[in-house]
Amino acid sequence: MVRSLSVRYAFAVAKQSRAIRTATIVANEAVCREHLRITLRRPELPPSHPGQFVHISPEVSPPPEYPAAQGDSWHPGEEWSAIPHTPMLRRAFSVAGLRRGDDGIDIDVIYRVVGKATRWMASLRPGARVSILGPVGTGFPVNESKSTAWLVAGGVGLPPMLWFAQALHEARKKAIAFCGVQSADLLPLTLDADATPTNDASEATLSAEEFSQHETPTVISTDDGSLGYCGHIGAALSAYHQANPIDANEVVVYACGPEPMLEFVSHYCIERGMECYVCMERAMACGIGTCQSCVIPVVDDCDPQGWRYRLCCREGPVFPAEDVIWNQPAKR
Amino acid sequence: MSPEAKRTGNVDLAVNLAGIRMSNPVMTASGTSGYGPDFAEHVDLEKLGAFVTKAISPELRKGNPPPRTVETAAGMLNAIGLANLGLDRFVAEIVPFLQTVSTPIIVNVVGHSIEDYQTVCDRLDPIDCISGLELNVSCPNVADGLEFGTDAERLENLVASVRPLVKRATLIVKLSPNVTDIVQTAQAALRGGADVLSVINTLRGMAINADLRRPILANRCGGLSGPAIKPVALYCVDRVYTQVARDAQVPIIGMGGVYDWRDAAEFLLAGATAIAVGTALFVDPTIPMRICEGLATYLRERGLTSTRDLIGQLG
Repeated sequence: MVRSLSVRYAFAVAKQSRAIRTATIVANEAVCREHLRITLRRPELPPSHPGQFVHISPEVSPPPEYPAAQGDSWHPGEEWSAIPHTPMLRRAFSVAGLRRGDDGIDIDVIYRVVGKATRWMASLRPGARVSILGPVGTGFPVNESKSTAWLVAGGVGLPPMLWFAQALHEARKKAIAFCGVQSADLLPLTLDADATPTNDASEATLSAEEFSQHETPTVISTDDGSLGYCGHIGAALSAYHQANPIDANEVVVYACGPEPMLEFVSHYCIERGMECYVCMERAMACGIGTCQSCVIPVVDDCDPQGWRYRLCCREGPVFPAEDVIWNQPAKR
Repeated sequence: MSPEAKRTGNVDLAVNLAGIRMSNPVMTASGTSGYGPDFAEHVDLEKLGAFVTKAISPELRKGNPPPRTVETAAGMLNAIGLANLGLDRFVAEIVPFLQTVSTPIIVNVVGHSIEDYQTVCDRLDPIDCISGLELNVSCPNVADGLEFGTDAERLENLVASVRPLVKRATLIVKLSPNVTDIVQTAQAALRGGADVLSVINTLRGMAINADLRRPILANRCGGLSGPAIKPVALYCVDRVYTQVARDAQVPIIGMGGVYDWRDAAEFLLAGATAIAVGTALFVDPTIPMRICEGLATYLRERGLTSTRDLIGQLG
């Protein structure tokens, strides 16, 4: 059945953050090669969902005690400086975890150091403050009528699945996490010494602590075969599925990772009649829908050409797999 | 006295932009704050001096494929491709929202041809809530976008063709910096009948990924904005003000890399009557409000009472 796009996108549309907030770093530690987990603390935060992201500014802008609060004691010569040194724009990161404690709300972000902004982030120490926008974007929709969720993660697509696994566990869903990385040392998970991942992907085991605590077994793959299944995670998913057939109407597949992997998983699920959602990534400037940078081509039955762009930041980052057009239309 | 009144007391930030009465000189730059509704979720539009919409063309435009933006040293390149709703949907879906906003609204207008500009201006001019129409004649993102803005004769012709249709709104022409001498195009715009000049649009630029041996933007090139272009923008405002606008008594909207009140003050000193914040809004949409507070303090501490005391007051 073809539902209208507006209805289709009505799922899990989260309330957009109305403000930029300052967060204090309480931890920023390496979890594996090139990956760190940064924990940002806020006194309060609007309701947030797995799949959403935070947009982090390389500088605190404004600092928490903005001159307005200081009244006459402020002089122009002492102004906050919004002129950022490069990097200048905010960077978007999926939320990997969210905990409410006595001291506020802690937001976990797991990131890989790939460029200037992430190098800057890696240099931050507890006590430092950053400016965050969000969490914003749509979250992963949960289908109440389906018992099982398969979370398919490639590389830095893994972090949002950690929080989602927790949410699914709390919602009493059965979840399996498929985690693919290039090499064992790039897996940002704590492995259980007693339960090694199978290398034929025939079985999901409670082998990664971060998922096991939510009773979510994992299938792990590495491109170089250094851990678990040797190959990409789409192939591991396929191998697991063959060994463990399931009614397509019982499972929802959620994928996050590099675009070729998302495309593979999308096709795999669509061909088999499995409901599938992909969490996409785009370079973003604003994160609030105004700059129009982060477009994703999607099917649109109402458009004369049958497609339109949607914004990854506001209308995503989670999209129904069957909507995404993987071969970008030519320049027009 | 409220903290607000205390901070801004005795300082009048208001400016008049050829008939557009602005409560302060800070506006948004076209294309950096959407059409209004999205932006209004994060910022109180009433606190802006004016709100400038994204460019509107007669027909819907999907825009360029991604990547559309890339950060560069102290700035960014964009090649959005003038993606917009098109005139019909803008009038049907956005104008009702804009009618609820008391801040002056300026609509940026773009087209492939003189007729396109005429179509949009003719339709929007009678709409009361639209105070100004800004012609985008210099957007470097679309293949034919450079034509009007970089040739004085063609620019004059365009502005003169649109002028009779803009009877109520203020007609603004946004000048391109991608010219040998911006004074020539500024003069051409005034001969055509422009009420106000926006100075400057983005500079053409390019970014390359050496690993992939490919341009980073899908459009190959884009428009450079952000702090990187501020010195160019200040130079252009100074040139246009001293050579053309001052004597003609035509106000200038200065823009290009404005991030804080000090940048704003610099543009005002160079001769701008108002300033627009663009790329900085992507980092923090509330920067215009803080610029206003900073400007008020700056004026008060120097014993000045009005933004107007700064305009063109370069020693």
